[in-house]
Amino acid sequence: MMRYTSFTSYDFILLAQGLGVSLALFLATTLIGLFVGTMWAIIRFYRVPVLTQFITFFAELLKNSPVLVQLFLVFFGLPALAKINITPVEAAVITLSGNTAAFIYVIAVSAIESIGRDQIESARVFGLSRWQVLRHVIAPQAVAFAIGPLTGLLVNQLQVTSLISVIGVVDLTKIGNILNLRTLKPFIVWTVVGGLYYVTAKLIAYGGARLEQRLRAHTAWKGL
Amino acid sequence: MTFDVTILAPHVPFLLKGALLTAEACALALAGSLVIGLIVAALRTSSSVILSRAAFIYVDLFRNIPFIVQLFFFFYGLPEIGIYIDAFTTGVIALSIAGGAFSSDVIRSGILAIDTGILEAAEVSGLSRSVIFRKIVMPIALRTSIRPLGSVFINLVLTSSILSTITLNELTGSAKIVASDTFRPFEVYAVLLIVYASLTYLVSLAIGALHRHLNRDRMPEVA
Repeated sequence: MMRYTSFTSYDFILLAQGLGVSLALFLATTLIGLFVGTMWAIIRFYRVPVLTQFITFFAELLKNSPVLVQLFLVFFGLPALAKINITPVEAAVITLSGNTAAFIYVIAVSAIESIGRDQIESARVFGLSRWQVLRHVIAPQAVAFAIGPLTGLLVNQLQVTSLISVIGVVDLTKIGNILNLRTLKPFIVWTVVGGLYYVTAKLIAYGGARLEQRLRAHTAWKGL
Repeated sequence: MTFDVTILAPHVPFLLKGALLTAEACALALAGSLVIGLIVAALRTSSSVILSRAAFIYVDLFRNIPFIVQLFFFFYGLPEIGIYIDAFTTGVIALSIAGGAFSSDVIRSGILAIDTGILEAAEVSGLSRSVIFRKIVMPIALRTSIRPLGSVFINLVLTSSILSTITLNELTGSAKIVASDTFRPFEVYAVLLIVYASLTYLVSLAIGALHRHLNRDRMPEVA
């Protein structure tokens, strides 16, 4: 009888595919989360009544509950409640984007608040509209301020993507599960999977640090 | 289908049993991660290059690898080398090791924030290094880092939901069973979400109170 328990060269392709799925979902949900979270922060900046309070409460709820439960709510709960079909990937995109947005909202709010009131007031006195102040005074400085905490958040969110394997998305962790069950060599499999996550996290951190350096270059002392 | 929470009423005792298991795991993991965090923070701030380097590698690895991967590593890996322990113990060990990495970072910055004058005074008084660490460095560092340690603990509570993936029926695991028994997953997970959020909110309130109590003599300068 043939036994498929040993590692084959095809397993590298499987791992690469899993990593690709993890990265693609990470990038997509980061972009959506960035957009949504920033929108929420802008709504707060304009002090839209009711909506601002609702967003603050919703973001707190997302930040203070397990992502696994949020995933279950979207993947198992929403189809039962609304009689719709949701694929694992859709559930993953919805949940991870919402979760990222909640944390980005907090970072964006503190980045906006990090800019002194005097700057905003003098810009207003010069006749700039609230949007112009946001666009030309706050945004450039807030982005430079936010990039540090943002890098930390993204390193964390990459790890959070591993949870989508539980609802059946074939990401890097799911590939690890498959290889683990087939080869029964847990130490090798999970060390390789962990190593891939580690290297990716380090690359994100490195990219963030480089970007921060560039964005803060104008504040650095250039010498006389 | 309508939203009806009362459907959950008969399952409350079962869910409470799961919540109790979550509480036990979190309490044990909190103790474990504090012990590991203290030891690792001591190593990282020690004068030995090798020890602080080793401690840094531990923290760096366990902070940058997803918890679920660490958990599977222990859950499937330990039996392979002949260590047979139940899912609960495995979960508590994995949570402690991951939590230890995060709390060591917090405690380390608490240690680095201590006024060197205090340490010099202690050395001049002839106290041994272990006495200085246990009686002076540790109490001050722990006291000032209560708040960040609190957020580490809250994260620990949220992370403990992942233990449901290794057949442990803690709060999330029990909820999964109730959801498939009642065919009302939305109600079950919506309530679960609120329960976790309220739980962590209560924990953060308690931590705030503890912080104020421990630092009551320094309140004016803190505020």
